[in-house]
Amino acid sequence: MEEMFFFDANCRIGNGPFGVHPGVDGLLAEMDIFGIDKALVRCNDADQLSAQAFNREISRMVKSDLSGRLTGVWCILPEQCPELPPPEEFFAQMRTNRIGAITLFPKAHGFMASKLSLGKILGEAAERKIPVMLYNCYRNEEFVYNFLAEFPNLTAILNAGNKWGTDRTLRPLLEHYENVYLETSGYWVPEGIRDLAEIYGAERLIYGSGFPTFDYGSSMLQLKYSGLPDDAVRKIAGGNLQNLLKGCDL
Amino acid sequence: MTIWQQETLARQLWTTGKSPIPIYDMHGHMGDSQAIYHKRCQAEEMVKHLKRIGVTRLVFSHMDALAGIMRNAEVLEICKRYPDILRMYIAINPHHPEYIKEDLAAFKKFQPYAVGLKFLPAYHKVAVTAPAYEYALKFADEHALPVLFHTWGNIPENNGKVMLETVQKYSRLKFFIAHCIYGEWDYAERCVKESNGNVWLELTAIPGVRGLVEKLVGQVGSERLLFGTDMPWFDEYQAVGGILAARISEEDRHNILYRNVENILGRNF
Ligand SMILES: [Zn+2]
Repeated sequence: MEEMFFFDANCRIGNGPFGVHPGVDGLLAEMDIFGIDKALVRCNDADQLSAQAFNREISRMVKSDLSGRLTGVWCILPEQCPELPPPEEFFAQMRTNRIGAITLFPKAHGFMASKLSLGKILGEAAERKIPVMLYNCYRNEEFVYNFLAEFPNLTAILNAGNKWGTDRTLRPLLEHYENVYLETSGYWVPEGIRDLAEIYGAERLIYGSGFPTFDYGSSMLQLKYSGLPDDAVRKIAGGNLQNLLKGCDL
Repeated sequence: MTIWQQETLARQLWTTGKSPIPIYDMHGHMGDSQAIYHKRCQAEEMVKHLKRIGVTRLVFSHMDALAGIMRNAEVLEICKRYPDILRMYIAINPHHPEYIKEDLAAFKKFQPYAVGLKFLPAYHKVAVTAPAYEYALKFADEHALPVLFHTWGNIPENNGKVMLETVQKYSRLKFFIAHCIYGEWDYAERCVKESNGNVWLELTAIPGVRGLVEKLVGQVGSERLLFGTDMPWFDEYQAVGGILAARISEEDRHNILYRNVENILGRNF
């Protein structure tokens, strides 16, 4: 059987304020045990770190991965406080640091995610199709709904679950925003991945493990036997994320 | 070599999608729930999903029976349509004492489909130690029946403290502690160790969470763990994948997926 290419879109590494977690070596070893090819990584306990520390740490860790299998995620802040470089320079630094996507933690970092605060950088991100990761959408629906209403053209990757099904809140977003993708970690709904793919297309779903909270085995087996044909499973397992990262203008 | 390529259960499941050993899912439901959308929550679709991976038996309690708007006798009829795979727990709703008495008086009629009782204390907002459960607990104890208790850490109706108190009161009843008193792991361990050898921890919501299965095997031994999914809440492949991913022995996996249940209820009960 031909091996399946897995690209994990939801993965955290490194120690944080709340404890010791697997770092680059620990993650790569785990990926080898399960057959995961690549991963998009961010810091642990991210919402307890400053955006600057988050970005610095993830760059340092990605740089130490000589295999090139890890790609980082950076977070953004309001442009009126010049804590991060302006968009052009920010994106150029992302490229040189092997950072492929951005994210934001408005609650933890104390700001309103709106056109006023993030208009320039997210306008640019939408144009360049740079993926914006929205983690922890579960029980955070009001933020996600408002955010996408404000920035409807973003290429946004929404985390789909926290064990319990989130269809009632996430399906409307998939229906209304054609650049919204669902990342599957913690989405434990029986054959739910298949149902979503049949309605919205396998292109709209992206595999994520949720490591180190969740293990790899459970989500891999769930996806492989979701009931979808092999080519759809392969898209979700890795092809879609690979295409998004390659297709953006960084 | 990945775990999927080794000569193990993992390899067989990864390559065929079918379990080479029996799987007893000891914690299921059926019917719509108030909290989330279930596409596959009626018997026919559920059985289809169960059979794909090769679940041998699903023991479930119907959501509507737990809610007190459907009688257990109707659930029995559903089981009879799928005799090779579905078994039930008699749903116990403490707000309907007359149903409890009637159903337990007729328990023999429910056999062999009913293997025990199901309590849902937090949802019914009645602590497991409350008098409303006494009749059912005494009945189960007298007949050495399994009772699947919904539990969760730090939820007063079914937390570690009240579960420990309960397991110490009944020495014959077979305690299936659903969700292992999630989060109150030390209490879960104490329930097993400070009881009469009549307590098992059921794993729904645990496989897939990295390190938890290993932790529980370390605390109480795999002989004390039962597999479950809350089906139709969680995917069978997801949960079995979590058992495969855990750093435990193949023997442990066999114990969890079928051996322990066969020791309690017999093969193909
Ligand atoms: Zn349950």
